[in-house]
Amino acid sequence: MSTNYSNEPLLDMYIFETEQLLGQLEQLILDSEKTDGFSREAIDEIFRIMHTIKGSSAMMMFNGVSNLAHCMEDLFYCLRDGKYESIDSSYISDMVFEGIDFIKEEITKIKNGDTTEGDPLIIIKKINTHIKELKGDVSAVSDHQKEAGAENLQKASQSENSQYYPKYAYKAVLHFEDGCEMENIRAFSVVHNLKDITSELTHFPEDLLNNECSEDIKKNGFQILFRSDLRYDRIQEVLLQTIFLRKLELTELESEEFNKPGNIKKPDHNNPAEKQEAPKTPKIKTQKESQLSSSHQNILSVDVLKLDKLMDLVGEMVIAEAMVIQNPDLDGLELNNFQKAAQRLDKITKEIQDMVMSIRMVSLAATFQKMNRIVRDMCKKLDKEAKLVITGEETEVDKNIIEHISDPLMHLVRNAVDHGIESAQEREASGKSGCGTIMLEAKSAGRDVLITVRDDGKGLRKEEILRKAKEKGLLYKSESDMTDREIYNLVLLPGFSTKDDITEYSGRGVGMDVVAKNIETIGGSVLVDSTPNSGTTITLKIPLTLAIIDGMNIKVGKTVFTLPTISIMESFRPKEGETFTDPEGNEMIMVRGNCYPILRLHQYYNIATDITDFTDGIVIMVEHDDKTLCIFADDLLGQQQIVVKSLPKYIRDFKKIKGLAGCTLLGDGSISLILDIGGLVYG
Amino acid sequence: MSRILIVDDAAFMRTTIKMALEKAGHVIVGEAENGMEGLSQYIKLKPDLVTLDITMPVMNGIDALKAIRKYDNNAKVLMVSAMGQEGIVREAVLSGAKTFIVKPFSSEKLIQTVEKILSA
Repeated sequence: MSTNYSNEPLLDMYIFETEQLLGQLEQLILDSEKTDGFSREAIDEIFRIMHTIKGSSAMMMFNGVSNLAHCMEDLFYCLRDGKYESIDSSYISDMVFEGIDFIKEEITKIKNGDTTEGDPLIIIKKINTHIKELKGDVSAVSDHQKEAGAENLQKASQSENSQYYPKYAYKAVLHFEDGCEMENIRAFSVVHNLKDITSELTHFPEDLLNNECSEDIKKNGFQILFRSDLRYDRIQEVLLQTIFLRKLELTELESEEFNKPGNIKKPDHNNPAEKQEAPKTPKIKTQKESQLSSSHQNILSVDVLKLDKLMDLVGEMVIAEAMVIQNPDLDGLELNNFQKAAQRLDKITKEIQDMVMSIRMVSLAATFQKMNRIVRDMCKKLDKEAKLVITGEETEVDKNIIEHISDPLMHLVRNAVDHGIESAQEREASGKSGCGTIMLEAKSAGRDVLITVRDDGKGLRKEEILRKAKEKGLLYKSESDMTDREIYNLVLLPGFSTKDDITEYSGRGVGMDVVAKNIETIGGSVLVDSTPNSGTTITLKIPLTLAIIDGMNIKVGKTVFTLPTISIMESFRPKEGETFTDPEGNEMIMVRGNCYPILRLHQYYNIATDITDFTDGIVIMVEHDDKTLCIFADDLLGQQQIVVKSLPKYIRDFKKIKGLAGCTLLGDGSISLILDIGGLVYG
Repeated sequence: MSRILIVDDAAFMRTTIKMALEKAGHVIVGEAENGMEGLSQYIKLKPDLVTLDITMPVMNGIDALKAIRKYDNNAKVLMVSAMGQEGIVREAVLSGAKTFIVKPFSSEKLIQTVEKILSA
């Protein structure tokens, strides 16, 4: 098919577009379910989507997908007629979802370079049966209409049959090229073109609207008999203009010959004029009124890999800039012009960085919309009622981060339906409305995005959590010391699961801790809160972006560390007597009446330094999830934008050094380790 | 070499058609995502030929065809259809489409068809 030019970019585009269309389709169906049935606009739009997928897939020779899309298109073509009163829209939705899932699977296979051997036959059969059922409903009506239409036409053509006979009579047999498709319509187009210059035109096959006659035309050619005032060569010229024409046999007939039967092979009807004009045309209406249609936008789709590369390059540029401006060779020099130029460079670099960041920002809408389907499917399976309310889906986060939160979110929403929302009876018994609500909300908060999954279900049971945690040895301090929030957050620990029975969707014991782990890998955190009988709220705090952050460089001995500026509360040099040691030997500091633990970095990482006295060095107070820690270091070196690079694999996996989030390059080319505040606070 | 306008709501189809026709030395003077845009592009660009998809949002191919033909009675329009659209294609023929091509098609077939229309 399209083998003679490279398929790669086309394939990418096919995958991208088809996935987008499937997403739209899913949303349309879900919306339609909410409004109880398919609106005219929705049907048109679904039809159009299936049509596009069918065409593109056929071009790419993914026949399974194409056939299935064709079949679904047929289904909505039927619905489009709007004659059917009893439409089981829930059943149709189920079938379409089944189809969507099949296509999605195929697309995944295509993406992975696997062969697409999936066979949608079962779904196609199901849909076809349903189409037949639908059609069975109205066949009586349409037959009637057909008859009426034919009658009218007969009358019309009879009145047109005038007394005047043109001079010449012709017989033509047209053969079309192999594989030109829709031979019947091509034949129809020939008849249409001859209409104005001929009269008494008859043809075989007669019923050109019947698609099965294409086979006849392929085999025997398309035969036409007509009269005209035009000469042989003119007629031939007109007929030869037919596109996809392989062979033309045109013969002039004597006038008497014209009326002989037998001129056309197998003419089984005496009044061919009856069907010359087709009675009905299935019309498609304009979609001007459709609000669902996509508007034109000046948007370019770019390969994410290229953006990643660009991001890397900008990162390198930030480092290179620092290398130039903070070059040790410049130390002690008075360079006014250089400083001015350097400032300008700095400004532009920051602007480029912001721009590249903003390119990578993607709205959460698509990720959030996916959850609709999950809630719907689970409610059906578990026989519960719940609706998903989405707010703030326009909030944007870095593309890489979206990929990391999609799975955890899915898990949280599943949990909410499975464990949070009660059955309708239980809900009504406790005075709530039968239909549960799950709120999915996103909002920006400084350099973070907060994503909240809130259900109005039964809430977490504190005693149960404590009992479980004790049983599994997960308690890290005494029960009485723990706040409610700390207790709820126990469910995030590895190996914790409150539900004994396992359902298809959640509760396999690898639940919340995986969510927490996933979110932590992108520098975020998870908070659990709950009120008995009124629901559970889980908040994901996620950084807007990963790659470039503001960092504070600090020195311990000869080693340089970098702290994310965002987590620094304050830094100060302690006075004599502010520090003390608690009975367990932990060093603490008293700041404005509160006690905070001190972490000596030189001890923690075993670094040789002369500064071991608190009064000689500096204390940096950092915060993570409402927990505060004071880090003791030799000195502050200054603030700069840093590009976060992950630690080499062997350091991460084999050395397992605690409290490191990554590393970065400094202006002088040396390496600085980025401290993981979360790790230090909980370590 | 002819100046061609491609009207199709699927970027994939536009690219496929574009690649094939450009290979044959034609110039794609414009692309449009729906009939409405196609019509305004046609008026602006006056291409030698338009490839027109049938099923599109905002304004479908048939309405666009009618509008284009109303504006320019000699417009050369190649309808791009898919199997199962016989009825609509028939309407397109009645409304003055030069011919139609059925998806899936090879690039050779497309080029051949386009050249036939142009030479007619």
